[in-house]
Amino acid sequence: MDRIIDGALFENMVKGGAENLYVNKSIVNDLNVFPIPDGDTGDNMYMTIDSGASAPDDGKGDLGSVSARIAHGMLLGARGNSGVILSRIFAGIAAGLKDTENADIQTFGHALEKGSEEAYSAVSVPVEGTILTVFRDAVSYAGGRINGNSTLDSYFMDLMNELQRSLERTPELLDVLKEAGVVDSGGAGLVYIVEGMKNAIDGVEIKHGERPVQSAAKSVNVDTFTSDSVLEFGYCTEFLLRLQSSKINIDEFDIESFTELVRSMGDSVVSFLDGTIVKVHVHTMHPGEVLNECQKYGEFLTLKIENMMLQHNETVIENRFEFKKEQVRKKFGVVAVASGDGLVEMFRSLGADQVVDGGQSMNPASGDFIKAFEQINAETILVFPNNGNVILAAAQAAGMYDKADIRVIPTKTVGEGYSALSMLDTEGKTADEVQEEATEYAAGVVTGFVSKAGRTTEMDGVSIVAGDYIGFSDDVVYSDSPDKAKAAEILCDRLDAGSYDVILLLAGGGAAREETENLYAALRDKYRDSEIIMRDGGQPLHDFILVLE
Amino acid sequence: MFVIFTDTDTDMTPENAERFGYHLISMPYSIDGKTIYPYEDFTEFKSKEFYDMLRAGTIPTTSAISKEKYTEYFEPYFKNGDEILYVHFSEAMTMTFTNMRAAVAELQEKYPAAKFHTIDTKGITIASLIIAEEIGDLYKAGKSAEEIIEWAKDQVDCFSIYMFADDLKFFKRSGRVSGFSAAMGTLIGVRPIIHINAEGKMVSIGKERGKKNALNRLLSYVVEKGDDVKNHRILIAHSDDEEDALALADMVREKFGDDVRIEIIVANPTAGSHCGPNCLGISFHSQRRV
Repeated sequence: MDRIIDGALFENMVKGGAENLYVNKSIVNDLNVFPIPDGDTGDNMYMTIDSGASAPDDGKGDLGSVSARIAHGMLLGARGNSGVILSRIFAGIAAGLKDTENADIQTFGHALEKGSEEAYSAVSVPVEGTILTVFRDAVSYAGGRINGNSTLDSYFMDLMNELQRSLERTPELLDVLKEAGVVDSGGAGLVYIVEGMKNAIDGVEIKHGERPVQSAAKSVNVDTFTSDSVLEFGYCTEFLLRLQSSKINIDEFDIESFTELVRSMGDSVVSFLDGTIVKVHVHTMHPGEVLNECQKYGEFLTLKIENMMLQHNETVIENRFEFKKEQVRKKFGVVAVASGDGLVEMFRSLGADQVVDGGQSMNPASGDFIKAFEQINAETILVFPNNGNVILAAAQAAGMYDKADIRVIPTKTVGEGYSALSMLDTEGKTADEVQEEATEYAAGVVTGFVSKAGRTTEMDGVSIVAGDYIGFSDDVVYSDSPDKAKAAEILCDRLDAGSYDVILLLAGGGAAREETENLYAALRDKYRDSEIIMRDGGQPLHDFILVLE
Repeated sequence: MFVIFTDTDTDMTPENAERFGYHLISMPYSIDGKTIYPYEDFTEFKSKEFYDMLRAGTIPTTSAISKEKYTEYFEPYFKNGDEILYVHFSEAMTMTFTNMRAAVAELQEKYPAAKFHTIDTKGITIASLIIAEEIGDLYKAGKSAEEIIEWAKDQVDCFSIYMFADDLKFFKRSGRVSGFSAAMGTLIGVRPIIHINAEGKMVSIGKERGKKNALNRLLSYVVEKGDDVKNHRILIAHSDDEEDALALADMVREKFGDDVRIEIIVANPTAGSHCGPNCLGISFHSQRRV
């Protein structure tokens, strides 16, 4: 039984780790959680360890030199958050093995501890429940079990056991993992690496180097970031910077201040100094700013900038990892009915998980609701039908669905639905309480509509001319005018709009921008005590919707 | 000599600082990659211009100031062997004070005769300013650093701020408020009510529909939580919403009498980068914050 690691074995172990990660990297990739950046943890970690495993041989075979060579290779190739942390782990290990010809288990265990410490120190704000935690737990557990009878095999068995246990605990430490029902991807990558290292100790043949190294170019779908997209996650920016003595006094360079500087321009910062090379990984909205600032210290050796929105939109969450947890159910989910781009967007931004297309012109069927329910994993799903003719279909769907408690809030208009949802607070409340509150909020709202009249007639004392615009609310007609804004103004008067706190004006697809703005100005002028808000609803049929609350 | 410092995140302006004898540390924000130090890179804060830019879609970022910059501020006084008191904005909201402490540790070693103290106001904008101004009063009245620190130990928690926000986009981006439901986005006509707790962190504590209701809710906190309100300043800050600030001031006067000491302030751009335009807040002497 082996008790000693020498340079050749260590090199083989790293190659074995790379090999095993390569075989399993798609599993690791799939563990990524939106909106955690770095869409390709498996690829990134593989490229990192591979650049260590393939570092050119410098003819030195002692363990200290081999581990230093591997660590330096990883420094140059480190990609992504987990990759950079991985490279730091190996840098720490190399520091722990410095000047050794070979190492016994005790020495090797200490070196791994150094790897853990080094990894923590490289991360500006260490997050528990990540690769950091998984590695630290395993090293500490296995280290505590070293005794006179320990072999490399038993030590790595202990490492593996605790790595897996700690990995399974990561969702307990990190809510985003729990919500997505996955374990940490960087931690999982590490499990495969250590497993591969153990394979090498066990003498399993390693095929490293026989396959072409994957290029960094991935099939990026550029259509996922359009001219209307909002940059929400910024750029994953990574580079190696060689400090320049022409620019700064290198001896006085302080990596901590430098890191703080980088952190002031972004987050997820990992950075460290190796000789005169600084490695930086940062997520920033303004990569140019970061580069300009950092170039004041040196020149770039390598540079990589990726729009993280592209990475994200590619990521499909598929729970096929063997350690996966049951996906955590939310307490409340929301389905709302609306049509028109502006209204759909409005309900989404208010927290609707699913918006079912429909309304006055097209009533959704029960089946449409069931489809929406199936997309949501929640104990209770609140449904806002937002139309008198849709409530029944929603109620029917609720009766047919048994995988969640469906509560239909009988909102008859988008105004009621909007109002109930915007005031709703589900924190710490039961389904009954939430249903009651939502129903109450909806009841306090008056919704007025302006539409084109289809025929000439008389209703509710108003003479209606076909082609004119009529203003109505709750099936009562209040106004008729050839001018849609005028019809809206009269409608407001009749509904006593000035007595409400908020008047929300939703412009339909048929209302011209100028018409809407003029109406908005007129309402502001008239109802000075109310707060008047104009939004582009884009709804069909109704040129204007007025929500009075 | 005993000197006092504060920073621009507390809404302290150079004129106001001069009134009390404060030295002012400028807390920067960045727009399109350009870092701007309030009152160093400009003399007058053009608030309308700034908040209109935010309304048009610009989202500034803020950044910590470097160790070197802190050293620049403090070194002359360390050199002098002075006693320095830095009354700063909430440590729970920033990483900048790590750099400050690193600078101070070095200076302390270099100039062991100097003394350095800090007071965490556990707030930002007027939540801090109301405390900084009280401390300024004490300083002007000749109180020692020791006396002021004793006062702060007891009194920092006895000032409260309540505010409402208009668009959660800015708060969500900055990640500096807890208590919002995760999915909550841009609210229309509904204003989240926020306060700063005893830990110096911003917490969302409910919502109000319509501006009038939101204003009434702020007033109700002054009535319910206020303590010895009339013997202290009442500060109202807005991010370019002067009309409502004046309305709230009138409401306070109507409730407490015309002799209350109200100061109306425009929130500084660095704090404004996190809260966005059209926010309104009021701070006052209160029962102990929880």
